[in-house]
Amino acid sequence: MTADPPAESCACPSCGQPVWPSDNFCEACRAELSTALVSGGGANGPQACLSCPGAPVTPEGYCESCGRKLPSGTDHCELDLGVLAGVTDRGRRHSRNEDAMAIATARSPVGQAAIAVVCDGVSTSARPDEAAQAAARAAARVLLTAARADSNVAEASRQAFGAAQRALLAMADGGWRVGAPSATFVSAVLTGSEVTVCWLGDSRAYWLDPSGAGTRQLTSDDSVAQALVSEGLMSPAEALASPAGHVVTGWIGADLSEAEPHVIAFAPDGPGAVLLCSDGLWNYAQAAADLAGLALPGALTDPLGTAAALIAFANEAGGADNITAVLARFPPGPPVPPADPQPWTKETADEPA
Amino acid sequence: MSRPDFTVEVFQNEFLPDGGREVNAIVTVTAPDPDPTAAAASLGGGSSRAEIIIIDCLGSMDYPRAKIAQARAATAAAIDVIRDGVTFAVVAGTDVARPAFPLDGSLAVASPASRDAAKRVVADLRPAGGTAMGSWLRLAGQMFSFSPAALRHAILLTDGRNEHESPQQLTEALSGCEGAFSCDCRGVGTDWEVAELRRIATALLGSVDIVADPAGLAADFESMMRTAMGKQVADVALRVWTPQHAELRFVKQVAPTVDDLTTRRARSGPQAGDYPTGAWGGGESRDYHVCVQVTPAGVGQEMLAARVSLVAGSEVLGQGLVRAVWTDDEALSTRINANVAHYTGQAELAQAIQDGLEARKHGDEDLATAKLGRAVALAEQSGNEETAKLLAKVVDVLDAATGTVRLKKKVDDADEMALDTRSTKTVRTRK
Repeated sequence: MTADPPAESCACPSCGQPVWPSDNFCEACRAELSTALVSGGGANGPQACLSCPGAPVTPEGYCESCGRKLPSGTDHCELDLGVLAGVTDRGRRHSRNEDAMAIATARSPVGQAAIAVVCDGVSTSARPDEAAQAAARAAARVLLTAARADSNVAEASRQAFGAAQRALLAMADGGWRVGAPSATFVSAVLTGSEVTVCWLGDSRAYWLDPSGAGTRQLTSDDSVAQALVSEGLMSPAEALASPAGHVVTGWIGADLSEAEPHVIAFAPDGPGAVLLCSDGLWNYAQAAADLAGLALPGALTDPLGTAAALIAFANEAGGADNITAVLARFPPGPPVPPADPQPWTKETADEPA
Repeated sequence: MSRPDFTVEVFQNEFLPDGGREVNAIVTVTAPDPDPTAAAASLGGGSSRAEIIIIDCLGSMDYPRAKIAQARAATAAAIDVIRDGVTFAVVAGTDVARPAFPLDGSLAVASPASRDAAKRVVADLRPAGGTAMGSWLRLAGQMFSFSPAALRHAILLTDGRNEHESPQQLTEALSGCEGAFSCDCRGVGTDWEVAELRRIATALLGSVDIVADPAGLAADFESMMRTAMGKQVADVALRVWTPQHAELRFVKQVAPTVDDLTTRRARSGPQAGDYPTGAWGGGESRDYHVCVQVTPAGVGQEMLAARVSLVAGSEVLGQGLVRAVWTDDEALSTRINANVAHYTGQAELAQAIQDGLEARKHGDEDLATAKLGRAVALAEQSGNEETAKLLAKVVDVLDAATGTVRLKKKVDDADEMALDTRSTKTVRTRK
């Protein structure tokens, strides 16, 4: 990563020449501008077995000594941009990670913005891991471009959702059948004054308030369990324990192409943190207060370390599903360069949608 | 120039329960389709093949008189099928071995003239005393050793027991010949020992069968020689890699016949061993059952339990992967792969027949009835009709499904020997 675009409207941080919000390089000096980081994708997996130092790895990704399958780039991935960071993990029970995340920071004419997207591939659909990645990548591009230009964030969130939707439509290869590649969706954009959340499915966003008073779940699941609770038929615990409790009723994918996301925005009273997570985390800590207890105050100073701690917590509790947690500090301060670079892929921003 | 690849398909249920250790897989290996130009190119033409026919000239071959005549006719039929350019010889076996054609112990190059000359010699073969198969094989081995041919194949025909040398002498001869050439064995009549010929055929990667009626010998020889002429790739080994701390429980060929290769492992790397499979004909397909015991990993983890490759020298001709994935989903881990189940049954069938016949020989009728009954049930379940027919000549089948049988009071020796020699023949589940 190189430095972000300048605060003064859009100027290259290297040479000061003006740049467009959608530019990934400065036209004048060719300096690379900030881009979104996306989990997994590409050959990011470890190149050696952790238990067998020096042992070769087969082309299929097995250790030539102990035979263990090495984690692929998607199995465990940590992304860090200082003000926000995320960790995604395969968990202990699934053989692959079908969650994905994307994070980015941007400087707009009015200040710093932080962007996060979490998608959880629907495991009964085709290629859920690729679907989640494609959706997160597409959405982050749109949000990054919009944030650089200080566009209307709620509208940009809907456009980002639409871009994710189109990415999965393209993956479905024209097939409108049930079981086309699909994923849940939750995005958050933090500016200096506001938090905007957009979602569909059962991946969640939480506001974590250090004073405790404002801590709450920002999203409401599109799931059978939530429907049962909303209709007063069951308690949340009963509903989630019911056989169809985890069935999602909203998702992005070619088989639900008319789906509309939910969008909310609010202006926090003071500093805090936004947590985006997949059900692999919240299954083990439903209540916002419980998650806040785990994530604060660490989320305010060490988003990466705290996200990693949340993953460890879910794995120790059983790790029954893939786990993803992204923590973003509010207000998003100046970015701190990552101390320990982790596997990530660079993504370029699109033209505005 | 690289050879066309062998196809390697793996059939298994890769899912193991938490703590599960045993991984079973059926590996189907298929050689590339016959391609006359490729075969000739990769093997250097006709001179890349050498054939030796070893014919027993034991005295008993003279009685009934028809037997030696049929053996001569069979040898002549086989000689007729040897292609031009292939080098060949005929060895006459008694208590010693001597080259019958060419007389100097060399290999002749097949041509219309040399085939005729060989057939004239064979027509004049006279019965003489003695059977010493080890010495016959040793002579064949010496004659092959001067040949540059990659595909070296022999046919051994006998009608008697190996009476004129000790079992130890045969063992020594076999260890000298292993890997040097392959040998198909045929027993004529009922005075030969199934176990003896099976030992030779197993060690020398060939087939064994009974020719109860000498009249069938010519057709059998011709077919054996045609198969030999169809071989394309010599000295192929099955290489099995397993992870550290894993134990390879067994490696068995399970189709077309059951042949346990486990003890024939030759180390080929820190975690790999080679098992000889001999020469492969174009389009030839065989199935192997590999059973590995691995160190369990956690639920959700995946491991390469075995890598099965086909190798010829330093060349890898194809490979397949046997995997293990631990799951807490019982619906996945309790599924039994149909191919593994089928061949486990076929291997048990062969064993039950051999155990049953052994018990019968020793007069243990209860055990014989139980074992052969089990064999009848297994043959019925798996649709192995050929074996079921052979069994029905040794036992009276009261109920095939449950394996209820009665030993026949009088069994033709030839029928019992046919059941014994063919007990290892399996049927495939697919195709």
